[in-house]
Amino acid sequence: MAPEESSTWVEEIEQVIDEASGKVYLPPCQVACPIGENIKRTNALLALLPLDPEKARQQIIKIGDEIYEKNPLFTICGYICGLCERDCNFKDFTGAIRRRMLKRFISDYYVPHLDTEPTLPAPKGEKVAVVGGGPGGLMCAYMLSQKGYRVTILERNPELGGALRYIPSYRLPTKVIDGTLNNLVRIAHIKVEFGVKMGDGGKTLDGLMKEGYKAIFVATGTPNPRPLTFEMKPVAGGDLEGVIFGLNLLYDANQRNVSPHLFDGKRVIVVGGGNVAFDVARTARRLGGDVSLVCLECEDKSCRDGIPADVEEIEGATDEGIKIIYSRGVNEIIGKDGKFAKIRCPRCTCVFDEKGFNPKFDKSDDTYLEGDVLLVTIGQGMERAFFQQEGLLNEQGRIDVDPTTLMSNLKKGVFIGGDVRRIGFAAEAMREGSEAAESIDRYIRGGNLKSGRVKEYKKATTPKSDHYKPQPELAWLPVEERLNFELFEKGFTLEEAVAEARRCLCCGPCRSCKACISLGLRPSVAKINVDENLCIRCGNCVYLCPYEAPTLVSPGLVKIDLDKCHGCGICAAMCPAFALDIENWERERISALISQLAAEMASPKVLVFRCQWTALPPLDGDFTKNARVIDLPCAAKVETYHILEALQQGVDGVLVAACPEEDCKRGRGSRQAKHSVTALQEKLKQMGYGDRIHFCTVKPRHPEIFNQELAQFIERISTILVKGK
Amino acid sequence: MIVTIQKPLDELLNFISPYKKVMVVGCDGCTQPPRGIREAKVLAQLLELGGKLRNKEFELKAHTLVKQCDSHLTAAALKEMLNGNAEAVLSLACGLGPQTIARLYPALPVFPAQNTVFLGAEEREEGNIEERCAACGDCILGLTGGICPISRCAKSLLNGPCGGSQNGKCEIGQDRDCAWALIIERLGRLGKLQNLEVIQPPKNYGVVKRPAKISP
Repeated sequence: MAPEESSTWVEEIEQVIDEASGKVYLPPCQVACPIGENIKRTNALLALLPLDPEKARQQIIKIGDEIYEKNPLFTICGYICGLCERDCNFKDFTGAIRRRMLKRFISDYYVPHLDTEPTLPAPKGEKVAVVGGGPGGLMCAYMLSQKGYRVTILERNPELGGALRYIPSYRLPTKVIDGTLNNLVRIAHIKVEFGVKMGDGGKTLDGLMKEGYKAIFVATGTPNPRPLTFEMKPVAGGDLEGVIFGLNLLYDANQRNVSPHLFDGKRVIVVGGGNVAFDVARTARRLGGDVSLVCLECEDKSCRDGIPADVEEIEGATDEGIKIIYSRGVNEIIGKDGKFAKIRCPRCTCVFDEKGFNPKFDKSDDTYLEGDVLLVTIGQGMERAFFQQEGLLNEQGRIDVDPTTLMSNLKKGVFIGGDVRRIGFAAEAMREGSEAAESIDRYIRGGNLKSGRVKEYKKATTPKSDHYKPQPELAWLPVEERLNFELFEKGFTLEEAVAEARRCLCCGPCRSCKACISLGLRPSVAKINVDENLCIRCGNCVYLCPYEAPTLVSPGLVKIDLDKCHGCGICAAMCPAFALDIENWERERISALISQLAAEMASPKVLVFRCQWTALPPLDGDFTKNARVIDLPCAAKVETYHILEALQQGVDGVLVAACPEEDCKRGRGSRQAKHSVTALQEKLKQMGYGDRIHFCTVKPRHPEIFNQELAQFIERISTILVKGK
Repeated sequence: MIVTIQKPLDELLNFISPYKKVMVVGCDGCTQPPRGIREAKVLAQLLELGGKLRNKEFELKAHTLVKQCDSHLTAAALKEMLNGNAEAVLSLACGLGPQTIARLYPALPVFPAQNTVFLGAEEREEGNIEERCAACGDCILGLTGGICPISRCAKSLLNGPCGGSQNGKCEIGQDRDCAWALIIERLGRLGKLQNLEVIQPPKNYGVVKRPAKISP
């Protein structure tokens, strides 16, 4: 049952409900992902990729197919989204699993593959319109198309992508956006009308309804940059030459509408402290500018007034020579001869108070910053006029929708979501698109829009481990090579991706993952059978289990929580009463296998107990005369009882092959296996069989190391047998 | 729990070598590490392999008993198991097991497979089992914050620590905590350091008359 023998693939994964709380029980990363991707499962599948690069490629495409079903934009998320990493249990040890990089790794195989994906059968259902072809709109359109609706996206620009088109190409290459989106609308039969103007003499929502659209999803985003204000009043001087909205610069730079030397020799000041401001600053730097960034917030990210941009952005910008000026506002833009010359910057003493964003300044402490260009990037808003004309705003001037269904409370059949409703991450807009699709389906079919939609989650805790492997560093091109618009972050190689995926401790229940089953490592989800007639209540299983699955409370017998159990079998191997047995690796089944294999082999007979997570292929042909392998879910499942049984049955030597301790998928399985085998070896030595067993660690995915260990061991056993005669 | 360690296997082979049919009997009672059916079977397997190399063929059978120190339970279960097919018994229990069996079967040779070493508690995270009780018969844990100086202090001092206590460790080895350093720390936490102002008189080890016995 080595990984490469797998033939089946998709298992029906289950939603696990925690019995005590009634909540959906998942790893925290999957709770954090707005799309609810099966992160643990893909990590496990990546960790066990076949050794052969072509077979690995095919497997990666299959993994991509699976993610695509839930998230057809995942190839883009792999470059820009790391929300799951913020909640990774590993974060508190040596750093979160780099899931974004793992997804990008899949993306880099999958984007070219998308061109070869066949078009799905054309949907024949009712017509639905989606206004806005950004992440939210596209997600909604895809999900509706999957449900059989004929969807038309109305997009104001000449291309799809919405806010994605503002992301600099050094972070998200244009070809990834184009490859993903063009294929998405092709595969799902989504009709797209470009250059469509809504409101102000353009199309209206009522007009669309008259055209036969049964429902409309409005996801028009926030394309309007916010002008500078100070103490609620606009700051004059925004019309000076050289004062530009950062957002417009980002769009133009991505369209290659600006000269690569636009800011050569110029001093550029960027106002804003968010990730978009950093995109603008780093873009301006790449266009030749000498860039400073001014923000209200302070440097300490841990405090309430800390800078909101990601650490990686701040580090990247600093390395690129961008100067960050913290805790300063702008209350005056000063020009000279109609051109921008300088800004006046009072010190900001407090950004947020109890009411929220409400900056306070010390005007006696101000400073002037001189420059040639001022890039304002302090946020953006929706196209208010359109929403006003359509009557979608409430008395407070806000978009009035039901937060669960996203249907407008003011206009039936109109659903609103994405940044326009609440500015956030691309994946959050995508979730709203997906939710809107669900609502629209229920709305058109006349069902209840709300029932069963709000879910609560219980986050799984971390399995215990002896070795928390360090997080790999992100590989960025050095500054002198990256001041252009080419991708500057190096993706994982196959080996790096597998190593990082192996680092994942696979928190949470097996039933919602089933990767091992898909790969043929086990026929069903782990199950420990407890024979209550045999249990002696010693508690060994309670302390040996890395997953805290067994409990033993007086009076009573041991209970195993199978949603915590990962099926390593340590408990069964160590139970002094033979009361625990692991399904598919039952003690008697292994005994029978030992008898059978012992009879098949020719002397010197060598039996190998090997951990499945070594991810090694079946035995090389050269070894099949003298050796057989029993694959175990963890090396710690090897029982001294079975080793001795093998020797009694005429096996000449027993080899136990485990992963190295620092690579043990079970936290402490490798160490436990070593401990058991060494203790047994000491006893066998007293009986004259000390050389007949050997414990070794083999590097996962390196058959040559395993083969060398096995060859040496067979040789050793051979020599002993010759001497014995 | 009662802590035992297995005797060298050669010694066990010597014990049983005059016999052919030998019964290996585990104990599911308090012995630690557990010496149940698995250990009984594994020991039988080892002895059989050892016998083979020494041209000695045993017929070894492995069983386990609920608690070998209970003569009533042991008598009932053992009768069925033995049923005339064992010439000798090897017991995996603490020192109490072989004695119970010897008393029940005056003509049956019985041997200990374990050396009984102390009354211990298990620090499972570290995998250690440490001596924590000396069965002195006059428990003073109430005065010492729940830490036993009789079993945990190398000198069993009642008014410690001695001059050999350094940085919380005992002079006999840096791997051993000074029990009195632990006691002082714990009493400090409990706000009971005044307990230490009372000089404890020499302990009366005669409280328990050995060999000891309690009657109903």
